[in-house]
Amino acid sequence: MFLTLLFTFTYGQVLAQNKTITGKVTSKDDGTAIPGATVRVKNGTIGSQTDVEGKYKLEVPTDAKQLEISFIGMATKVVEIGNQSEINIALSAEDTDLNEVIVVGYSVQEKREVTGSVSSVKGSVIENLPVQSFDRALQGRAAGVLVQSANGVPGGAVNIRIRGTGSITAGNEPLYIVDGVQMNNSNNASFSSNNPLSFLNPNDIESIDIIKDAAAAAIYGAQAGNGVVLVTTKKGKAGNTKFNLNYYKGINEALPNLRVLNSQQYLQARYEAVQNRNPTVAANDVWSSVLGASRLDPTLLTEAQRAGIPTYDWQKEAFKTGMIDNYEVTLSGGSDKTTFYLSGSYTQQDAAVRNVDFNRFTTRLNVTHKVNNKLTIENSINISSSAQRGTFGGPNGGSFLGSPVFSSPLILPFNRIYNEDGSYFGTPASGGLAGILGQNIIMNSDYNIIKNTNNQVVGNIAANYKIMDGLLFRGFAGMDFRYFKGTNFSDPRTADGVGVNGRVREESGQNTNFITNYTLNYDKTFNTVHRITALAGAEYRSDIREDINLSGIGVPTYQFNTANSTATPEGTGGLWTGFKRAGIFGSLKYAYNKKYFASVIMRYDGSSRFGENFKYGIFPSISAGWAISEESFMKNITVINQLKLRGSYGQTGNDQIGNFDSRGLYGPSTGFTYNGLAGIVPTALGNSALKWEKNTTIDLGIDYALFEGRIAGSFGVYQRTNSDLLLNRSIPQTSGFSSITSNIGEVVNKGFEVEVTTVNVKYKDFSWKTSFNIALIENRVTKLNGADTVLPGDNSVRLNYPIGTNYTFKYAGVNPALGRAMWYDNNGNITYTPRDPADRVIIGSDFATSMGGLRNTFAYKGLELDVFFQYEFGRQALNSQGSFMSENGGRAFNSLADIYERRWLKPGDITDVPRPFDNRAELRSISYNSGSRFFEDASYIRLKQVSLSYMLPTNWISVVKLSSVRLYATALNLLTFTKWGGVDPEFVSSPNPGGDPVTGRNNNTGVVPQTRNYTFGIQIGF
Amino acid sequence: MKIKNIVLKTTRVLAISGLLLSGACSSLLDVQPRQSIDSATALSSPEAVKSALAACYARLRNTRSYGRDLIAIPEALSDNGFATGKSGRLVSENINTPYTHFANWQVSYQSIIQLNLVIEATEKTVLTADLKKQVAGEAKFLRALFYFDLMRAFAYDPNAIVASNNKGGVPLILTGVLDIGQVTSPARASIDEVYTQIIKDLTEAIAALPARANIPHNATGGGAMALLSRVYLYKGDWANAAKFATDALASRQGTFASNASYVASWRASVNPESMFEVLFFNVSENIGVNESLQTTFTTLTALGNRTTTGGFGDLVPATELLAALESEPGDLRRNFYELGTAGRGTARIECTKFLAKNGTQNLDNIPLIRVSEMYLNRAEALAMSGNEAGALTDLNAIRTRAGLTARTGLTGAALMTEILKQRRLELAFEGHRWFDLKRRGADVVKAPATLAFSDYRVLANIPVREIQVNPNLVQNVGY
Repeated sequence: MFLTLLFTFTYGQVLAQNKTITGKVTSKDDGTAIPGATVRVKNGTIGSQTDVEGKYKLEVPTDAKQLEISFIGMATKVVEIGNQSEINIALSAEDTDLNEVIVVGYSVQEKREVTGSVSSVKGSVIENLPVQSFDRALQGRAAGVLVQSANGVPGGAVNIRIRGTGSITAGNEPLYIVDGVQMNNSNNASFSSNNPLSFLNPNDIESIDIIKDAAAAAIYGAQAGNGVVLVTTKKGKAGNTKFNLNYYKGINEALPNLRVLNSQQYLQARYEAVQNRNPTVAANDVWSSVLGASRLDPTLLTEAQRAGIPTYDWQKEAFKTGMIDNYEVTLSGGSDKTTFYLSGSYTQQDAAVRNVDFNRFTTRLNVTHKVNNKLTIENSINISSSAQRGTFGGPNGGSFLGSPVFSSPLILPFNRIYNEDGSYFGTPASGGLAGILGQNIIMNSDYNIIKNTNNQVVGNIAANYKIMDGLLFRGFAGMDFRYFKGTNFSDPRTADGVGVNGRVREESGQNTNFITNYTLNYDKTFNTVHRITALAGAEYRSDIREDINLSGIGVPTYQFNTANSTATPEGTGGLWTGFKRAGIFGSLKYAYNKKYFASVIMRYDGSSRFGENFKYGIFPSISAGWAISEESFMKNITVINQLKLRGSYGQTGNDQIGNFDSRGLYGPSTGFTYNGLAGIVPTALGNSALKWEKNTTIDLGIDYALFEGRIAGSFGVYQRTNSDLLLNRSIPQTSGFSSITSNIGEVVNKGFEVEVTTVNVKYKDFSWKTSFNIALIENRVTKLNGADTVLPGDNSVRLNYPIGTNYTFKYAGVNPALGRAMWYDNNGNITYTPRDPADRVIIGSDFATSMGGLRNTFAYKGLELDVFFQYEFGRQALNSQGSFMSENGGRAFNSLADIYERRWLKPGDITDVPRPFDNRAELRSISYNSGSRFFEDASYIRLKQVSLSYMLPTNWISVVKLSSVRLYATALNLLTFTKWGGVDPEFVSSPNPGGDPVTGRNNNTGVVPQTRNYTFGIQIGF
Repeated sequence: MKIKNIVLKTTRVLAISGLLLSGACSSLLDVQPRQSIDSATALSSPEAVKSALAACYARLRNTRSYGRDLIAIPEALSDNGFATGKSGRLVSENINTPYTHFANWQVSYQSIIQLNLVIEATEKTVLTADLKKQVAGEAKFLRALFYFDLMRAFAYDPNAIVASNNKGGVPLILTGVLDIGQVTSPARASIDEVYTQIIKDLTEAIAALPARANIPHNATGGGAMALLSRVYLYKGDWANAAKFATDALASRQGTFASNASYVASWRASVNPESMFEVLFFNVSENIGVNESLQTTFTTLTALGNRTTTGGFGDLVPATELLAALESEPGDLRRNFYELGTAGRGTARIECTKFLAKNGTQNLDNIPLIRVSEMYLNRAEALAMSGNEAGALTDLNAIRTRAGLTARTGLTGAALMTEILKQRRLELAFEGHRWFDLKRRGADVVKAPATLAFSDYRVLANIPVREIQVNPNLVQNVGY
């Protein structure tokens, strides 16, 4: 917002001095003075700004009729001058956001003049949500912005896709810019799911602007191919220092447990599975063998004898209710020379899974100092330190035997959890638990240590120098420095540690991300109607990452869990990598009488990641707008306050590939030492012609405001074409490599977006406001290598289908006569052994085709209720955890009760659940868990947030000398409506060579689900 | 006036920035990797060439190579092994489920391409004559070994082909690949072409390498002769199979264990019989509790200790194999099998050939070629070419060493049956059984279903992604 102050015109010299008007501009909401508000004669050139106390003094010609008073975020007000010489004005917060100023790249712009496609989310909308990073809070808030949590780990990773997925194998993450600093948001920690954006306390955010089209984003050139998310933090305002204390506390609710088999049901299923595999073996022999393998008494041959076998609830032990605490203090204020905003916060949040949590301390200082009329210095610095305890089995959880999320519903139910004396049952020394999932996961979770700490400093300094009226020079330098340290200790008493007598793995690393840019901003209005804004600049960024890691085995006793206590070093490793970018850019914008707008943007940008002769690229854009409502023929149509058509065409780039992907390299790689010699292997195949992935977007939109802003919003359509994809293309492994990044292929995203805000009721003190947004997207792969119709090695990428197409054998249900699972071959005939890939068919896609949010706000006096739904439709995904849970005795772990109850039992049974069969595959058949059986509709509508707040009346609290007291309560993820059979339909499914072998994608196996949170808080201002 | 000034100023700033950028273009964006070197010039020193060769040996430790698959899967696919299902691994292989087979395609070609680069580097890089011979010899031995393993998995052996299912050998690539321009889409060479190359490489390795070395972890002339003997046996060239077995024995690489030292030879960290043995040394090379050979074959952590459960014991000797071991009293090889723990379910008799022999769990060296195999190769080759007396001598060397009586008067089919039985017992759980049946065109007789030699599942499927990405590559029949 400081920029606005600087850019606001200083209106010309006074021409006639006939009359002096003085007055004060205040906020209608809390009566405080508004410094920096613009007061001007309507349709004239005479104007001034209010001082620190909100006062102004203006010499106006006697014939001046009206004064226009405006301030960012407030509704502009026009008052009749008449005979008054003192005019005090109270501004109220605006209902429509069309007058807003938004950040669009090295400058700010009034939203009414924006010709690109930008969505804005105010900080107040996401205030006090118990989330650790602002990206999570953006879910459903802006049309066309898809937010998916990779997991429910507090402070964990989040994927954001702006207007679909453009790239098949290069990164699809938008560029995040916090107060001008381009963030490095890659998670470098390998023991926990760490989200680098969690460095920022979301409550410090003033606004988030999301640039969706390529025209506006072209100013960021090569990095903006996936859109840009601009975060502006809160700044101080001149005036008395305001204190604000904020505290909330809450709980994370444990999830409803999956309904699994009891001991008797499991044994029955397992018996049937083994008997079906060995039909000639006598039943009693099968029973003995099943009981023996389960480490039960093999003589319990009758049902009555087995009835006494107990059942233990492992899920209840693994999941638990957690706590949330958040403390915050902010101070802001300043003089007309210097303003500041200072905040400190501490937050702590548990996951709903045992021993997984997050805590963070942050402090932030934003200072703006006006040296003189020409020079303004700004500085902001954010220091944060966070610690996470992670999940067993990898950052996102996973299908590891020792992982509580994965294993707790699958462990054989007759395994005890604790011995009589309270010690853990089934230690490795005592032979573990019966069944394939042989680890006591509760013990694992309590004994092993998996943690990560992240210390981050993000800061910047900028100098703004007004060369002359309308021409401003700005020099900016910022950095984002991150240091992380992780520990992963396998206790010698647990399965992973027992064989090596304890293992300690430690890692640490730092990321130094430096950015500097220099811009000239020119803004001048000629003859009152021709406004020209121009920008020219140069930018440089370097980003260097250095990590080291080590592991050692053999600790003296379990109490020693640091690397220095290990007997044998097991491995050491390190990483050094980096990239640099440099670019020059410029833009020229023209506005005629606030009616016609045109803009040209160009950036020449380079990245170190590309081939020698392809490092630089040019990214141009043009756009135009027409404010129809400003035309004289529209003046009489009073219901339409604003109506603007806009259109743009632009190109941006994507360079989100490995830092050295264009080079042929030889390097050491772990595990290639032989007979005392350190081995080296070719690690990368050279491609010196590697260049940008190009994103070309055509965007058309309408912004509107009707009925005094009671209905406002926008419509948008776009076509986003990603060409020369940075495709990690499969090549024959006979070349010694599996893939190479090359510029091949094309993906098109077409979409339609609607954002609408309505003030449904505004009667006296009561108001009801609705905000709704929806985005429809069609995603198509339109070109692959040569005549390829499928990306070799990844069946989910197919020509003319969306990225993430599910391609598998179609499940044909169960043969009623035999109880065997059947599939269709490619002729539609039943088969037991479908051929790969000949019999695979397209069954759907995990690309969400529509998404959005619906927010209703009810306000009565100080009371406010906020109800927010968020939804995603059209997505079909593999419920791989569900697949594990449906083996029905096929292997020695537990299953869902529902599957057991519906299993085929005798000839004639019509069901979709085949008869249990040992190892899941009948003779001459593939596994009954194969094919489309576990692909499910992952569409959902979620009641994401319900917030109730009450602002205590001023006359109550002024007694105790407070300026404001607010009480609030928030519930998160309250309800989810979905057909999905797993716990949480929201998880990230992205192409991953290590992912699911059927789909080539990640899956939901063992992923820590999101939680239901309830928090209560109080905010005190004085 | 003013506008002009501004335009001028702006242009100047832009021009300066532009100059700065373009002038400093190459250096401004210069980021050199620090932990890798340019592949075009990487192998230009003797040290680099040796390091690149070392990495090719290391790939033999890969789980899809000898780390597990090439030792364990031949036992699982054939009649030697029984999959217990304790972790669920190898159960599908054991019942010959389609698509569960060898998967050594990728690791083999990675090694082959790198070996090609090493061999090319010995021509280009300045090396001493001795080092050049040594490196090229070892590289050719390894290249032959990787091609031989590809052929055993994906193609028919020259002497036993189902003509209607035969799609040839594997792609034969003898040049290195460093740049995208060198990537090709090769078709499968014929079986003969690949065998010719294997024999050529081994012959050159024999010529280049010293006959023996004190430790068997790198290729030697003796090791190459031994492998060549095996290759000729698979090819059905009996004379050469016998000749190179004799040469290999004469090289004195590896020592034929005596009756007294035999059991101990399988308890030492380096088997004294090894003619070539893959070394596992650093703890970081440990394949771990899921897929190492120790965990695959046994639940034990030490001989005779049934109280501590270690691995899964996924693949144990089938009843028929145990019966064959028990068929004659006093067979010393019975010592390599004992009852495992009940920690993972029903206790079973398990193979203990890989059992923390060097003191660390799951880190056993893997003998690829043992001296004993040379006696068995020669016995079979001599018997096949009519020298039954010679065959019997070699057979009895194996029998008496194992504590069995020497047989006399065996001829014809009975002799061959006994040779194959001893081969099965001697080399059990060392990765031979499936290949020995396949190269002779024999059916795999086992419960619940016998696998006929004519069945398509005798050959592994070439990875589906390879077929998709390479239009010239033909999949094996049935997949």
